Amino acid sequence: MISTAIDVLTAEGGGMPPLVEPGAAGSLALPLVLVIALPALGAAVLLLGGRRTDAWGHLLGTATVVGSFVCSLWLFLGILGRPEDERQITQSLWTWFSAGEWTVDLGLLYDPLSALFLLLITGVGALIHVYSIGYMEHDVRRRRFFAYLNLFVAAMLVLVLSSDYVGVFLGWEGVGLASYLLIGFWQHKPSAAAAAKKAFVINRVGDIGLSLGVGLIFFTFHTTSFDEVSALTSEASAGVMTAIGLLLLLAACGKSAQFPLQSWLLDAMEGPTPVSALIHAATMVTAGVYLIVRSQFVFEYTDAARTAVAVIGTITLLMGAWIGCAKDDIKKTLAGSTMSQIGYMVLAAGLGVAGYAYAIFHLVAHGAFKANMFLGAGSVMHGTNDDVDMRHYGALQKAMPVTFITFAMGYLAIIGFPGFSGFWSKDRIIETALAENLVLGLCALLGAGVTGFYMTRLMLMTFFGEKRWEDDVHPHESPKVMTIPLIVLAALSVFGGIMIAGDWIKKFLAPVTGEGEAHHLPVSPLVISLVVTVVVAIGVAVAWMLFGRREIPREAPTDVSPFTRAGRHDLYGDAINDVLVVGPSKQLTAGLATFDRAVVDGGAMGTASAIGGLSAVARRVQNGFVRSYALALLGGAALVLLALVAVSFA
Amino acid sequence: MTGFQAPNVEWLTLSPLLVVFLAAVVGVLVEAFVPRAQRYAVQVGLSLAAMVGTLVASLVVFARLSPTADEAELGRVVAAGAVAADGPAVFTWVLLSVLGLLSVMLFAERKVESGVLTFAGQAAALPGTEAEREASTRGLSHTEVFPLMLFAIGGMMLFPASNDLLTMFVALEVLSLPLYLLCGLARRRRLLSQEAAMKYFLLGAFSSGFFVYGLALVYGYAGSMGFAQIAAAVSADTGSRALLLGGIGLMSVGLLFKVGAAPFHAWTPDVYQGAPTAVTAFMAAATKVAAFGAMLRLFYVAFGGNRDDWLPMVWAVAILTMVVGSVLAISQTDVKRMLAYSSIAHAGFLLTGFLGIRSLDEVAPGGLTGVSAVLFYLTTYGFTTMAAFAVVSIVRDAGGETTHLARWQGLGKESPLVAGVFAFLLLAMAGIPLTSGFTGKWAVFAAATAAGAWPVVVVAVLMSAVAAYFYVRVIVLMFFAEPVGDGPSVAVPSALTTVVIAVGTLVTLVLGIVPGALIELLGNVGVFIR
Amino acid sequence: MSETPFLVLSAILFTIGAVGVLTRRNAIVVFMCVELMLNAGNLALITFARTTGTLDGQIAAFFVMVVAAAEVVVGLAIIMTIFRTRRSASVDDASLLKY
Repeated sequence: MISTAIDVLTAEGGGMPPLVEPGAAGSLALPLVLVIALPALGAAVLLLGGRRTDAWGHLLGTATVVGSFVCSLWLFLGILGRPEDERQITQSLWTWFSAGEWTVDLGLLYDPLSALFLLLITGVGALIHVYSIGYMEHDVRRRRFFAYLNLFVAAMLVLVLSSDYVGVFLGWEGVGLASYLLIGFWQHKPSAAAAAKKAFVINRVGDIGLSLGVGLIFFTFHTTSFDEVSALTSEASAGVMTAIGLLLLLAACGKSAQFPLQSWLLDAMEGPTPVSALIHAATMVTAGVYLIVRSQFVFEYTDAARTAVAVIGTITLLMGAWIGCAKDDIKKTLAGSTMSQIGYMVLAAGLGVAGYAYAIFHLVAHGAFKANMFLGAGSVMHGTNDDVDMRHYGALQKAMPVTFITFAMGYLAIIGFPGFSGFWSKDRIIETALAENLVLGLCALLGAGVTGFYMTRLMLMTFFGEKRWEDDVHPHESPKVMTIPLIVLAALSVFGGIMIAGDWIKKFLAPVTGEGEAHHLPVSPLVISLVVTVVVAIGVAVAWMLFGRREIPREAPTDVSPFTRAGRHDLYGDAINDVLVVGPSKQLTAGLATFDRAVVDGGAMGTASAIGGLSAVARRVQNGFVRSYALALLGGAALVLLALVAVSFA
Repeated sequence: MTGFQAPNVEWLTLSPLLVVFLAAVVGVLVEAFVPRAQRYAVQVGLSLAAMVGTLVASLVVFARLSPTADEAELGRVVAAGAVAADGPAVFTWVLLSVLGLLSVMLFAERKVESGVLTFAGQAAALPGTEAEREASTRGLSHTEVFPLMLFAIGGMMLFPASNDLLTMFVALEVLSLPLYLLCGLARRRRLLSQEAAMKYFLLGAFSSGFFVYGLALVYGYAGSMGFAQIAAAVSADTGSRALLLGGIGLMSVGLLFKVGAAPFHAWTPDVYQGAPTAVTAFMAAATKVAAFGAMLRLFYVAFGGNRDDWLPMVWAVAILTMVVGSVLAISQTDVKRMLAYSSIAHAGFLLTGFLGIRSLDEVAPGGLTGVSAVLFYLTTYGFTTMAAFAVVSIVRDAGGETTHLARWQGLGKESPLVAGVFAFLLLAMAGIPLTSGFTGKWAVFAAATAAGAWPVVVVAVLMSAVAAYFYVRVIVLMFFAEPVGDGPSVAVPSALTTVVIAVGTLVTLVLGIVPGALIELLGNVGVFIR
Repeated sequence: MSETPFLVLSAILFTIGAVGVLTRRNAIVVFMCVELMLNAGNLALITFARTTGTLDGQIAAFFVMVVAAAEVVVGLAIIMTIFRTRRSASVDDASLLKY
């Protein structure tokens, strides 16, 4: 059925996007359930077991995810052996709700898209678990850390395996909660608690988008399961589809740190580094991309929403790159880079059928090389007493050779050095973008050059030049348990491009994303690759001129260009929030003595503190006098009567 | 002149109500005749027996619900037309018996106050006087609280089952009057408790003044007190519109006051904070069930015919209630007060489900109606909130409960289990998936959306996001903040409170994961008869 | 005889009661005003019993009276305790619970 649909589609050059029509799971039901159950069980045992599990908790936590990875491989090989149109399978677990016309079956949907995510989440997840055994060795709350990591993996797997939007929502909230717990894991640091709170609040804004989006889907189609919705979207009106698309985009913006909800990601670096690698680089932040690609049957019917997706992606990829240029904190530089790379994925997803597969390709490739670099950064910090300021590094390539070499592989991959995974994936996105929309394509090209610049800067400041660390710092290579994951990930960064050989990934994903007639550029793809490489080379060269040949001061210079200053301040994302929302509401509350007595500040961020201010003002109405309450009651009665009369006689 | 005809009373169908009222009356006699030393044991035993008895009786009635002539409806009108024992009513009976049973356990807790009830030793003794000290050293307790509570539960069970205006009014007062008294009986912080009682009483009496006048106007419009006759009159549209609208407006004031909807909510925070925590738990869970049940019946049955007149008003009230509850909760510094504002917000969500009114032919068979959605939400919210207040009652220091949020800092270190359970309950109230709060919200939102009230649903979703903020703030406080001073301490409660917390948490979890069975059940019984 | 004057009188009584609740400070007087509102309801009930020619209203009036009496018992008990504690029956003095 699906293959015939695709035949029609290629024949007509566009048209119907593929439907979700899974078959029964059959013999693969067992691994499909196990893949989620294992980490969920691990989290439950570690959380409920308490201190009894301290001694072996980290081993159990790692084992469950490794087991989950084995199941993912089993599944992957299982569907590889099948013909293309039988690669979607589903397994119903239980009926969550059933009320007349509305039924939510909590079920699992495994198809090529989920397959790649499963391999990424459990594969990278397993490596990061192994790494964390070493990284968190001296932390007294290590068991709890592994419990949260397991919880996260389970929730993320629910997100990508659900066959229903409500199930996605379940996983979506789950990963949000786990991310929140892990960002604030080092709770003794006030900055960590603040960052966790910020991430939570901003993610709630995105969650509103998802709730309303799913609500609108239910309202329109009377169902929320992918297969039924995908069969119905062709009949809905364009306006509704645009509204759904924009709401889903809002959700994606929150989770994937896209403009204008990007500011939490930089602060989220307060969490332990393995968390940054797993959640804030490889997996959770890509959930937005997953949501958009999964909902292709929505976005294919709304050009407006799809354009918005592409534009948001482009804006974010430039902003992220800009921020990456200005930061001295190694993790924040990488965070800016993550924003930027996810911007590429969102851009590709916004390009429609031509781009979905490349978005996922870049997502998988990025997952490997960015996790590699984050873990490398963690290894560097591990060896330098947890210093994160790149101005205090320098010349680490001799002290930490393994970290250096593996990091360099990730570096070459992200800037798109020919042959490395990033080269293939980013190249395809830029090429497609140029073909679909020249302006977006040029922005993406520019972004590639800037990526070359800031990543080179990071490399030079960290591993080359003079040593700038304090005397009491003794950089040393990390233990094997940490370097082996690095080596594996480095290998993936090098060879990840193999997925594109013979357009394999595009064909593999075709049952999900569809195949369309893409626009073709007048020039050959080889020329584009060459141009991209040249632009990157220019970025690298500029960085070499600025940072490779000159001495880098230990203190950050203050007489910097406005561009750098803006970048250092996260492009004033917080300041804008402050001026527009926090300022006025602070004024509002300034004169109120009671607000000062509040135990906890009403909120640090925009809307949150505006509502906090409103709340502090409004609570004065509750003045404690029973006669005032009676007056409110009487007034309310009058209003109710007025409303009734007005409606009735209108 | 025909001779006197004894009315036909359906004893079995009414047995759940009769058991409670009988036990309450016996409880009063126990106060008078049983020696002081045995009163506690006798009263608790009697109350527990009564609640178990009424639970069993309710279940029997529920199982025996039989279709009326019209296939879609279950149950029958009994007691000469005064009581409608239909699906929704009997469901609230079951729910109220369970919540009542848990409340009795909370009331009976003595371990946290080192051997005495958490209620005043002698309400008549002035705080800080010799008489009070003596009452305290002699270990006196007001065991009157148990019969009072039974009367309140009886009233609550009658309220949503009442099938005419007069029964509804009497039920309203029977449930309210004992509550006024219970609010003023706290052992600690007597001034606050008495103030809460006075505020609740004066405002409650004020609102029932409105209710009575509205009742009179509706009676003047329809010429009858019975809901069926009123519905007939409304459909026929005879009589003066002004009387009808005035009646609806004034009666809704009385009911909206009871459910704590804005702008009639002002009593809620003060009373919830001042009242003894066990009473607050009881009020928050059970009163909401009763009041919403009654409101559903009055509006769906009696005024269903002219719903276009009053729906916009309820829209506005629902939106205002959610906004007021969620926004004001943010700046609260007292945990009981915060939960009170949260209960206002939940009243708003319930009103959203209330908007899901549709005619029978618009609903697919077994479909989610406004009634079943609201009843489902009431079930989820009742258990969650009762467990939450039960947790509040065991976080204490030498001066009694420590309800100021500053004293909750670092509770996660002091007692991870208690803090964890409370965090879970808060997440449920915030509507995080896999808790009953999520499924409940989905049910009411779906019902409201299906009936076209999507703008209210949009506001509700936005307000859930705001509300999540203050719930999570408390979680942050418990887990991510260092204790101040001595830090909070958790009194080890007796099995009674433990059972309440455990049951509440368990129901919250189970209804979050497998709500299907209950929703289906409600879908099948969720029709009012008239 | 027209019933309108009775209804007008009952509306006036209701209004006097409501206004009294808002303006009087003494808890007992506030409570008396509430009772006035209930009695206004009673008057309306009886009037409507006459206009509609049914008995329900008259019976209801008796019930309302009984309920009002019960309310008095509860109300006076509460007001007495608070008066003994505070030596004041002013409703404005009891305003510890706020915000």
